[in-house]
Amino acid sequence: MASSAPPPALTLPPSQFARLQPHAYLLAHLSPPAASNQPSLRANGRQPAQFRPTSANTGSLTHTNGSAVVRVGDTTAVCGVRAELLPTSDIASWSVSHASSGAKHRQNTTKNDADADADESQIQDLNLLVPNLSLSTGCAPGFVPGAPPSALAQSLSHQILGLLHSTRLVRAEDLRVWYQVPSFGGDGDMDVDADDEGQKKKNDGKEIKAFWVLYIDIMIISLAGNAFDAAWAAVLAALRDTRLPRAWWDADNEMVVCSETVAEATRLSLRGLPIASSFCVFEADAAAGWRAVIVPDAEEEKKIEEDQRRGMQRRWILADPDGYEEGLSQERVCLVVDREMGKTVIVKMEKNGGWAVDGRELKQLVDIAAERWESLKLILEQC
Amino acid sequence: MTDRRRINGPPSGTRPAVFASSLKSASGAATERPRRHRQPNELRKIFLKTGLIPSASGSAYLEYEPSASLAAARSSPQSLIPPSSALKLACTVHGPKPLPRSATFSPNLVLTTHVKYAPFAARQRKGHIRDASERDLGVHLETALRGVIVAERWPKSGLDITITILEAEDDRWWGDAPDSHDAPWGMMNVLAGCITAASAAIADARIDCLDLVAGGVAAIVSDDAAAEEGNSSTPKLMLDTDPAEHKSILSACVVAYMPARDEITEIWLKGDHSKASLGVDDSSLGHEALIDGAVNAARGAHTVLVEAVRESAERYAGLSNSDS
Amino acid sequence: MASTLPTLAIPGQRLAPVSSYAAGPGTHVQNANIYASIAGPVLVNPASSKTAKSTLSVSRSPLRKAAPAASPSAPKSTAPGPSKPRYNTLPAVDSIVLARVTRVQKRQATVSILVVLDESASNNKSGPQPTTTTTTPTGGSSDNDNIEAILSSAANPENHSNSDELRFQALIRKEDVRAVEKDRVVMDEMFRVGDIVRGTVISLGDQSFYYLTTARNDLGVVMARSEAGNMMFPVSWKEMRDPVTGAAELRKVARPF
Repeated sequence: MASSAPPPALTLPPSQFARLQPHAYLLAHLSPPAASNQPSLRANGRQPAQFRPTSANTGSLTHTNGSAVVRVGDTTAVCGVRAELLPTSDIASWSVSHASSGAKHRQNTTKNDADADADESQIQDLNLLVPNLSLSTGCAPGFVPGAPPSALAQSLSHQILGLLHSTRLVRAEDLRVWYQVPSFGGDGDMDVDADDEGQKKKNDGKEIKAFWVLYIDIMIISLAGNAFDAAWAAVLAALRDTRLPRAWWDADNEMVVCSETVAEATRLSLRGLPIASSFCVFEADAAAGWRAVIVPDAEEEKKIEEDQRRGMQRRWILADPDGYEEGLSQERVCLVVDREMGKTVIVKMEKNGGWAVDGRELKQLVDIAAERWESLKLILEQC
Repeated sequence: MTDRRRINGPPSGTRPAVFASSLKSASGAATERPRRHRQPNELRKIFLKTGLIPSASGSAYLEYEPSASLAAARSSPQSLIPPSSALKLACTVHGPKPLPRSATFSPNLVLTTHVKYAPFAARQRKGHIRDASERDLGVHLETALRGVIVAERWPKSGLDITITILEAEDDRWWGDAPDSHDAPWGMMNVLAGCITAASAAIADARIDCLDLVAGGVAAIVSDDAAAEEGNSSTPKLMLDTDPAEHKSILSACVVAYMPARDEITEIWLKGDHSKASLGVDDSSLGHEALIDGAVNAARGAHTVLVEAVRESAERYAGLSNSDS
Repeated sequence: MASTLPTLAIPGQRLAPVSSYAAGPGTHVQNANIYASIAGPVLVNPASSKTAKSTLSVSRSPLRKAAPAASPSAPKSTAPGPSKPRYNTLPAVDSIVLARVTRVQKRQATVSILVVLDESASNNKSGPQPTTTTTTPTGGSSDNDNIEAILSSAANPENHSNSDELRFQALIRKEDVRAVEKDRVVMDEMFRVGDIVRGTVISLGDQSFYYLTTARNDLGVVMARSEAGNMMFPVSWKEMRDPVTGAAELRKVARPF
């Protein structure tokens, strides 16, 4: 199969070859003739497991509570976090369902163990995190500006939302605005059932008056493959940069007011540092995508392994694919890992589009993702 | 009403934060209006770079230097309320590409412009769907560029110009209540930036142009500060005004200007400039002075534009050198 | 002769009076002066005859390979042969293009144009091997197209599906497929979807299609996969063969160089 790489009929400059026969072009790079002694490199000059140079910069956008610009190679994501208030009086079901939530919560905070916050689901239930990713920025040809979000943009937005929820990155406690009800004479603040009100006050005299809602908007300014890793890194960096003003319930005005003093504002205390690493699988057999699909049986598997021993690789797992490589591969792997005390924790593992990557390879990918975690951690901490 | 293609926040909506300081007194006396530290004819520095978005045929990124007050607020943050903001935008050019199937035959290049604010670009959160002012900017930008491009060299094809505004300019100082003189002054600065950036991106895409068109803004302002110091509050002509720095902008003008040909392709004048000339004996203050001022501001932007485009040409021409 | 000409020009820059040069691609004339209309290196094409003026143009492609390396002092004097001046990068009449077949119908085939080949490449089409276009895929990027842009161009699934909308479309009508036996052409035996075809533009056509012809020996299918999915090699002017299965398939084959 490898013999088909240089088409016999025509010799072309690389750029035309790259455009006409993208698959053969990438294959020729990855499997150079054995005699040439060249290393197997991707068309972009990277090693298969090599990520693109990454840089991050935070806090440069004026009208945000937190912002970040992350560049992964030629893919650029800008993320701005904007906090707005959701008064509990605006939540239709609040007085019924959360009447006693304060009590439970208070016990938790006194124990100083917010991880066991029983009301962590409030973030999800009340839609307190609102990530939206936009590709309609002219980031690549083919995305019509002004059109509704494309399928890719929608799926990326939902992946980010899902990951925000599943990692529990943001603590619900950080988003609550509490009010200490005065112990005397301060009744009638809420027109709730009198019994209920009395009950609550007896418990702690503290109630949630509002929540911060974080609008997390990601603009992909330049798209050159692997938008998810860049977008997630931008979200993470922007959340790390986010400062919420001190807010309190002003009983006179019956509204939540904030302090503009920077010194009083607090940063979010995020849970961990989950970092995403994406991979794609490039297969030597160009027709694999549309040939009759047959699951390789044991014998064939053996043959594949034999080939590999002889140095005839048939597929490559490419880290941090660029746009060109993404277009040439079916199978994707996305790993989100965190590290705690030297241990790698898999936060999310997603694999779709094929069956080339097996358990053994996934383990290797986890190791690569862990290395990526270390390097990206440094970048995020320095910005 | 809910947008099913986007992730929506709480169904009841949310409220922007209200700061205690702005609640105490209507005038917002806690902080002072930022002051212009530049000379009336001194422009803010412009950072302009081409070719940052490789999948586009041409691209440019433009950033205005933060005003003195904003720079101070950045270096030693005191208040969460930014005193002013500085324009930041990215522009891409895609094409020439085929016209959509439904389009009729065109012997010329068909220009499409699109300007969109990021939701976090302004003090008020912007919606995801383009509003009237964004459409307005797109139309103004298109007129500014249409006169520059040699469209007949690109038959049957289209050119898409997309601008994403990451940070916009304020329309007024945040502490001021909207008043009768109010107009979206910040939009004019945004338009000038759009014109300059789009011009760089089009040159970066190697689409034939008559000249590099640059945008410039001038305004007639009447500052209370001057009046308090004893001077009569003479309306003054200022170039590249930051609306946050002025108590009252009487009128403003933005032009798209081609220096090599001394031609204006787009002019947008707003406000009452007759009053300015009536006020005091200086009869030259008026729309002509305003346009001249905007042209001078555009000349300033043009020098930055020339450098950015020259850099694009060198990068492009030097490609075969640097690669080998 | 070109002492005052700049090496690099930017749009709106005055280059020379029309009295001394003729205006070429990348320039325009205003008030009897030639101005640059794009950013790039300034080129002077010497006059073809004694009486005519030299043509001044601003190059859309980087300086020719030989120019900056061999004689950086005189990059303007590189004359890329008697090529026709090009005012844009769009397909024009007589342009040689490479296109992918997207649809085959009874009377015509629809193709989407991938590459508009340089004039310099098509000039030598009668020669045995165009010297400018021999590079192996693993060779350096010494070409006039920005390979980085191609590599970075996002090819995500949805971009992929409508990428044909971003390319210029063309038709090869049944009567333009070959020069002989035009009435016996069966389109299915000439082209298949996915084939890469070399053709030349005969007309700019209507609003949506250019018109191509392959009615020449050097035009036709240059790359094709067999039904089994393997790259085929040409065996005759109307047949290609799969090297793995040995099966032959019918095509309007371009003569290999």
